[in-house]
Amino acid sequence: MTDLTPITALGARAPARHAFGALTITENAGLALASLALRRDAAQPAPLGLALPGPGAWQAGQGVAAFWTGPGQWMIEAEERAAEDFAAVLAGEASGCSVTEQTDGWTAFEIVSDRGGAPIRALMEKLVNIDAAAFGPGSATRTGLHHMSVFLIRRAEDRLAVIGMRSLAGALWHALGETAGRLKGERT
Amino acid sequence: MLIPHPLLGPRDAQEFTYLGDAALLNRPDGMAEGAEAAFAEYVYLRDNPAGVHRELWFHEQGDRSWLVVTRDTTTHEILGAELARDVKLKGGAA
Amino acid sequence: MTRLTGGLIDRARSLRFTFDGRTYSGHPGDTLASALLANDVRLMGRSFKYHRPRGVFSAGSEEPNALVELRSGARKEPNTRATVAELYDGLEAASQNHVGPLGFDLLAVNDLFSSFFAAGFYYKTFMWPRAFWEKLYEPAIRRAAGLGSLSMQPDPDAYDKGFLHCDLLVIGGGAAGLAAALTAGRAGARVILADEDFRLGGRLLAESHALDDAPATEWVARAEAELATLPNLRILRRTTVFGAFDHGVYGAVERVADHLPEPGRQVRQTLWRITARRAVLAAGAIERHIPFRNNDRPGIMLAGAMRAYANRWAVRPAKRVAIFTNNDDGHRTALDLAAKGVEVAAVIDSRPDARAQGQYRLVHGLVDNAKGRLGLRGVEIDSNGRKEWLDCGALGVAGGWNPNVHLASHHRGRPVWDEALQAFVPGEGGPCGLIIAGAAKGQGSTAAALRSGAEAAAEALAQLGIEARPADLPAAEDAPAGLRPLWHVPGKGRAWVDFQNDVTVKDIKLAHQENMRPVEHLKRWTTLGMATDQGKTANVTALAVMSELTGKPIPETGTTIFRPPYSGVSLSVLGGGDTGAHFRPRRLTPTHEWARAQGAVFIEVGPWMRAQYFPRPGETHWRQTVDREVLATRKGVGICDVTTLGKVDVQGADAGEFLDRIYANAMKSLKVGMVRYGLMLREDGTAWDDGTCARLAEDHYVVTTTTAQAGPVYRQMEFARQCLWPELDVQLISTTDAWAQIAVAGPNARRLLERIVDGFDLSNAAFPFMACAGLTVCGGLRARLFRISFSGELAYEIAVPARYGQALVERLMEQGADLGAIPYGTEALGVMRIEKGHAAGNELNGQTTAQMLGLGRMVSSKKDGIGAVMSRREGLAAETRVLVGLQPVDPAQPVLAGMHLFAEGAPHRTETDQGWITSACYSPHVGSSIGLGFLADGGARMGETVIAANPLQGQKVALRVVPPHFVDPEGGRLRD
Repeated sequence: MTDLTPITALGARAPARHAFGALTITENAGLALASLALRRDAAQPAPLGLALPGPGAWQAGQGVAAFWTGPGQWMIEAEERAAEDFAAVLAGEASGCSVTEQTDGWTAFEIVSDRGGAPIRALMEKLVNIDAAAFGPGSATRTGLHHMSVFLIRRAEDRLAVIGMRSLAGALWHALGETAGRLKGERT
Repeated sequence: MLIPHPLLGPRDAQEFTYLGDAALLNRPDGMAEGAEAAFAEYVYLRDNPAGVHRELWFHEQGDRSWLVVTRDTTTHEILGAELARDVKLKGGAA
Repeated sequence: MTRLTGGLIDRARSLRFTFDGRTYSGHPGDTLASALLANDVRLMGRSFKYHRPRGVFSAGSEEPNALVELRSGARKEPNTRATVAELYDGLEAASQNHVGPLGFDLLAVNDLFSSFFAAGFYYKTFMWPRAFWEKLYEPAIRRAAGLGSLSMQPDPDAYDKGFLHCDLLVIGGGAAGLAAALTAGRAGARVILADEDFRLGGRLLAESHALDDAPATEWVARAEAELATLPNLRILRRTTVFGAFDHGVYGAVERVADHLPEPGRQVRQTLWRITARRAVLAAGAIERHIPFRNNDRPGIMLAGAMRAYANRWAVRPAKRVAIFTNNDDGHRTALDLAAKGVEVAAVIDSRPDARAQGQYRLVHGLVDNAKGRLGLRGVEIDSNGRKEWLDCGALGVAGGWNPNVHLASHHRGRPVWDEALQAFVPGEGGPCGLIIAGAAKGQGSTAAALRSGAEAAAEALAQLGIEARPADLPAAEDAPAGLRPLWHVPGKGRAWVDFQNDVTVKDIKLAHQENMRPVEHLKRWTTLGMATDQGKTANVTALAVMSELTGKPIPETGTTIFRPPYSGVSLSVLGGGDTGAHFRPRRLTPTHEWARAQGAVFIEVGPWMRAQYFPRPGETHWRQTVDREVLATRKGVGICDVTTLGKVDVQGADAGEFLDRIYANAMKSLKVGMVRYGLMLREDGTAWDDGTCARLAEDHYVVTTTTAQAGPVYRQMEFARQCLWPELDVQLISTTDAWAQIAVAGPNARRLLERIVDGFDLSNAAFPFMACAGLTVCGGLRARLFRISFSGELAYEIAVPARYGQALVERLMEQGADLGAIPYGTEALGVMRIEKGHAAGNELNGQTTAQMLGLGRMVSSKKDGIGAVMSRREGLAAETRVLVGLQPVDPAQPVLAGMHLFAEGAPHRTETDQGWITSACYSPHVGSSIGLGFLADGGARMGETVIAANPLQGQKVALRVVPPHFVDPEGGRLRD
């Protein structure tokens, strides 16, 4: 193991976490990511036991998950494996595919609601032009958020992951936090 | 505007980058005889119809697909959208 | 303070507010206008052009007159309509557009000279003499124009934006809108009901008639209560749908906190973008007036507004009022006011056969004048030639109702004339998916509006395949208005048509005389309908007057359409919170925090923040720092974060073939483990972007782009992959952020890297110039190493997963302490690349070719790469300007980028221009300023002296032409 000490996308030793009323946002620094793209005439693999999902969808397995990112292309997630060479592991599971390490290309913010899906929907309404009501558990998409390109994954009714470019982690954290904070402050 | 993505359904046009005439799919062969004249036309000459127009949009803030969108330039009505890749493999933009 | 009985105000609570410094009181439920009227304040503003005293004219967002400045300090907001400003405790308002007190405006002198200010005045008067424009006319006009004034301070409040999606958007919460919402909500559709008012009900709140034998407000309350129970329905109060955009997208502004003294933690307003599969426009109707002489006196208002003030706000417009009407609706106002105990002096009806509908005096005739400059004192009645002055403090004018077609015309939907209604109704061609209902469609009676709303919702849902039964509706009045058109009262004097822009019947006559007859000319010549109210109370009347003048029927005279926004939208909310540091997101490099701790000065490079230079204590000028960084790198070793360069992973069996086609030079022939410089052209043959291309495996390359073009190059690569050659087996993905890439440059670079690699042979034989490899560093961290140089020194770029970038730089600095390691920024990077003669963004500026860059031979003619064919065309091939180095003859002279090059003794003109300087800097290595530039026949002119000139600032420097490599021209350093 290297003796170099990594930092998170927000530039700290430990992942950030903040609660805003019903919503808690946590930086998921342990998430490993690798992209997988089918080569010409390749059969669709089932890496790590995952059934690769179709357009707009996310599929979870045991500690790993996959979401569709484009025609013939997926992102594979693995929990708490960011320190490993996860792309190499995946490549071994997906012969005939192009695999590219993406772990540090992104920063993942996991947003959890303790009051069901409504706070998640309210947050989405203020951030993205994606119909939150039609974006149920198992949905994944890429879209624009405050001029940034992000992946959204609805991991559960009360859970939303926002995955943005690592270099934009600070701007994304600000956008999410400010909006979540305002929802908390809003009168009903 | 909403672009009816063939795989993802209607999406905000702000997710897309516009390029223009889908005739850009029909790139001439650079090694062929008379390539320079063909390229001059390809690079510089475009139709600019008032009415139905086939044009290229890139889903930059999305799935990175290039689409051929058929749009009426006088009403903005969108008559269809296909993956540009499929259009090209079928023989290019008519 | 005078209040009638009833009304929808909370009398239990009082709200204090000020207008022009005087304190008044009102109640919750009041608007500023209703509260001022309740306090007998009739004079609220001055008109735009003539500074005529003006009072409130309407009771809604169509208000042309009662424009005020709301709040104070940084929150001051000019041109706010008092009729829609919701009263809150402590509200401060001030009248605007006057010099001196509101009651004695010095600029009212304009009114005396009104004959000079007639239509077309600006076009005719200020054209001559030309010299007077800038110094005299413009400043004077600017001082006099513009209504309210800005605070000139930053807006202290927050704004945001949001996105909503629904099956049905119902615009307007009156009778038709509520019926539509109930119908669609009960059917289970996803519904948004938006209304600009703070209270649902629309006109129902202003009327006295019953729904099912009970006050209409009771039905509204029941409907509202039911809507609140529907989870699929959302009510947006205080929300103006201001525009209909393509494909069912609507823009709306919700005034979240405008009714509060301060927003607190909330946003002030939210900009909603609503994507609706269908929409029902139930925006009601706007009453029109009947122009007569001096019809702008404060106290003269729309009859429907007068009724609204009495019924909804329990406000008596004056002790004694009169009504001027051409239809039965005017009589309704008289009846309602009389029922509340207001003295109705008379109803003046232009219809000879009109009958009184209650106990009041009916006069068959016209109102043809009014008196009372600061507040109405009486009107002159003309009854078949018999004239009479009638004392009254307010006059309600009822000229009929215009369907509110605003949004229906946003897609150039042209309203059509309805002869029976004597009004324009929405026609074909409006926004797709928008169905019009209620008074907006000409269905103005309460019963018709309710029915029309329910039917419109059912129709919209049927189009979506959702079954809906029109809601059961209460019994309601269904009386015809019996209107007989009367568009203006003929006679002398000025009769106002457009109050906000001071356009009179006379102006329209003048436009007619001067042949400005088509409606578009009429508008521009007279400024009719071009104020912030877009002529909501004026346009149709003006058309009718023009029609009378031309003798053509109204539909042949023209029609008038509206543009977004329906009413004023602040720029703050359109910005939606993207202000200051958040105007655009900033990308930070993996070593950003470290660089900051080192005291780096940062610079924006596209979206990135990069370290520009790293000042040390005692360095007082940036040049000192940069010179030190350059010299230290060339002498020892320098470290620079170059992560911002775009990186694209290219894989697949045809990756090499693909790269051959997108680069001008060949890449398929590149050996595994090697890197090649690559130049991309635009298809028109111009040089576009450059970078390196590393072959990691037979079917795996990594391409780098410039920082600025990373996005466009990736887009172009996807275009090539999907649109040009989809048959090739190639996969792309950006990895720019994934890897922290650090340049290690200088004679000690190898010695430094040897200390961190895990047993990797860095010798020149094992890892020569332009080699690349995957390896591990610092005890097992996966990394990529590229032996490439931008500085001309022995140099490498090392990439590690981004999270380790900062630790790697710290380790390199620590390990390199005895080797003279220093960090350098973009400034030193730039100096070193100019010293080495490497092209960068300044040289690749979209005007230059490979040949000009001295890279002409790189463009392969053996393959078909993007831009290759066009780069050989005559116009580009004949170009003689090439990249050269430039050094001042007098070393003390500066070289400045952007200067143009001329032969000695030649005049400095376009015809004699021989090129330009692209990049320049002070070179500590050379000891003077140096530059790179494109010079005609430059290759053959080494040693020649040319003149660099900046004729704009009279600058002139003599430069010697030299090869573009100021450092190590043989390239020995980077290969050793």
